[in-house]
Amino acid sequence: MKRQLVAVAALAATLLGAAACGSNDDDSPTTSASGPVDGKGKTLKVWLMVDAQSAWKGVVDDASKRFTAATGAQVNVEYQQWANHLTKLDATLAGSDVPDVVELGNTEFPKYVFSQAFAAINPGDYENSGTWLAGLKGACDFEGKTYCVPYYAGARVLIYRTDLFKSAGIAAAPKSYDEFLADADKLQVASKSDTKFGAVYMPGQYWYSAMSWVKAGGGEIAKQDGGKWAGQLSQPASVQGLQKWVDLVKKYSKADPTKNENDQAGIFAQGQAGMFYGNAWELGAAEQIKKDPNDPNSALVDTKVKGKLAAAPMPDVPSFLGGSNLGVTEKSQNKELAAQWVKYFTDSTSMAGLIKANALPNSTALLDKAATDNPAIAPSALAAKSSWFTPNAEKWADVEKGNVLQTMLTDIITGKKSVADGAKWADDQINSTLNES
Amino acid sequence: MSVVESPTTRRTGGSTPHRAPRRATRSRRSRPGAATPWLLAIPTLILLAGLLGYPLVRMVVLSFQNMRLRELISGRTPPWVGFDNYTKVLTDSVFWTVVGRTVGFTVVCVVVSVVIGLGIALLMRRVAYGVRMLMVVAMMFVWALPQLVAAQIFRWITDSDFGVLNYVLDKVPGLNYQNHSWFVNPWQGWAVITTLVVWAGVPFLAITLNAGLTQVPKELVEAATVDGATPWQVLRNITLPILKPLLTIVTTLSVIWDFGLFTQNWALRDGHPEPVYQTLATYSYTQAFGQSRYSLGSAISVITVLLMLGVMAFYIRQMFKIGEVD
Repeated sequence: MKRQLVAVAALAATLLGAAACGSNDDDSPTTSASGPVDGKGKTLKVWLMVDAQSAWKGVVDDASKRFTAATGAQVNVEYQQWANHLTKLDATLAGSDVPDVVELGNTEFPKYVFSQAFAAINPGDYENSGTWLAGLKGACDFEGKTYCVPYYAGARVLIYRTDLFKSAGIAAAPKSYDEFLADADKLQVASKSDTKFGAVYMPGQYWYSAMSWVKAGGGEIAKQDGGKWAGQLSQPASVQGLQKWVDLVKKYSKADPTKNENDQAGIFAQGQAGMFYGNAWELGAAEQIKKDPNDPNSALVDTKVKGKLAAAPMPDVPSFLGGSNLGVTEKSQNKELAAQWVKYFTDSTSMAGLIKANALPNSTALLDKAATDNPAIAPSALAAKSSWFTPNAEKWADVEKGNVLQTMLTDIITGKKSVADGAKWADDQINSTLNES
Repeated sequence: MSVVESPTTRRTGGSTPHRAPRRATRSRRSRPGAATPWLLAIPTLILLAGLLGYPLVRMVVLSFQNMRLRELISGRTPPWVGFDNYTKVLTDSVFWTVVGRTVGFTVVCVVVSVVIGLGIALLMRRVAYGVRMLMVVAMMFVWALPQLVAAQIFRWITDSDFGVLNYVLDKVPGLNYQNHSWFVNPWQGWAVITTLVVWAGVPFLAITLNAGLTQVPKELVEAATVDGATPWQVLRNITLPILKPLLTIVTTLSVIWDFGLFTQNWALRDGHPEPVYQTLATYSYTQAFGQSRYSLGSAISVITVLLMLGVMAFYIRQMFKIGEVD
């Protein structure tokens, strides 16, 4: 009897506690990044992805220095790995000792914005906010407010072997898709004796690429219709785009249909392909590799293709606009300080540093400047102007994590499913994931 | 007076009819000290409750809620949904395919590894001492290799672009294994995974069974041989019956290990196994941590635990049985 009473009391207390917690969650005020903040004695915890450490650490240090001079607060930057950063972030956000600023990929952001992980910010406080790239900013918008700040972008380009082009009698980078296919044919003929050679290296689960072909033909991945998402891959235009991509892969690629694009630069560096489709920085990654891949300060060694690569926009194919945004966490104890740091890290001075490090800036206004200042990223700056972005659904990250598109592509390339059947299957998966309550 | 019943006191107790009255009187006499064993066990029990009990209870509770990322971050109590997660899982054909695949893999893997393990153990009894030591050392190395490292090595061996397996097979005249992808065809992919699991599991089985085989009395085997028994008959009628308790235990253990397959298929598929390479463990992990369906993942885990409970109960009973025999 007594025990029952205690149990009832405990249950009641839990419910009351839950009710109390439940009442004050929504509509926190927008965090401002303007106006002076005194940060003396405080230390900001910032999570950036490893790219910042390997490619533009100087920009990070410079922004932090300017931030410290203005506010007096210190900055502690921790660099994260792409492979496990979301699992780590989830576990950390569930606790109370959270990072103040977090970088996430732009396709990853909507899920976290929807889950109220980030504080609303005031775009007007940030430089170039009027011309932020739509593909980055779209991920930050939710119910009329902005929850993150665009950081940098990347667009995919065609990277090719100049020496092979020359010996196959090709004078310049292709200007149209037909020309691209004709060049691939020529490369294939020129290297006929090498059975391992494929004119285009295109791994089977490279869905950013496949979806670019879908977009090129006027297709869509999914669209919202009256509050519900509907997968569009089985629509005729999408199927046509997929078919075009699959034809390309089957005819010219020797890549593993079950691999993704993660190590494509390294494989391309082996010299058994004529072209590949990658981020601008992958050109450098193919030409030089770190002697010790586990050491960020390791010396670089030249690969077989050093000095033989060039990049150009992929003709007639819009690029997926990849990139990252920065958010101030909702649980942060120093939101205003955090917003200030983001302001310094995304201002024009920092952007100029990023451009030098071969990354695309966060604003369309800076893209032209990027192309003239740094010829190495001119093709991708051009590609970024005609780019696309994944459906802006809060559950989109689950479609990516669920391997839906990857599985579909492998199934189609290996002939396990026809293009139409594969697309139909993917649509079903997309519908049930995006519309799940 | 001893409170703990040790094997020696029991043996002196003689035949069973005498034991019942003795035990009764003793329990009456030892009542004042009855708390002692519990007191001694308390540190262990607290540790077990903390490390195993608490997460288990949380998992079961979680499976009746609907915890998503929003609830995880805000710390709000997720809404209670009763058996919704269970209905969702149990009516999902994908789940049952995964169960079927996991069970099928377990059966194949256990049978193959126990047969190979027993074979190696028998071989170890026949070879010279030096060779036996060499075998033990070689197997110890395999055994000592962390699963993740072994899986990475296998991933490199079977890599389509750089893998040594394709390179070697391609050297064989008539075979074209250039850029062959081992994971396009699920049968081939699972063959690779099974090979890895069996390869890593055999050392434990062989070394344990070898130890068990030393318990088979030589005289018995000799007598049988003199009586004209074939080696096969000796194995079936003498060796295996003596080895049976041990064999049962290692088989059950293998079932438990193989049923929970995670590291191998996870690493071989580079952390994102395709649907055909999902087992119960990876499926529940992907649901919970990949797609932030924490409650659904919990429900899958609870069902997995229930499925395993039968095997576990059998294993524990077997353990106690062996204790009694000794």
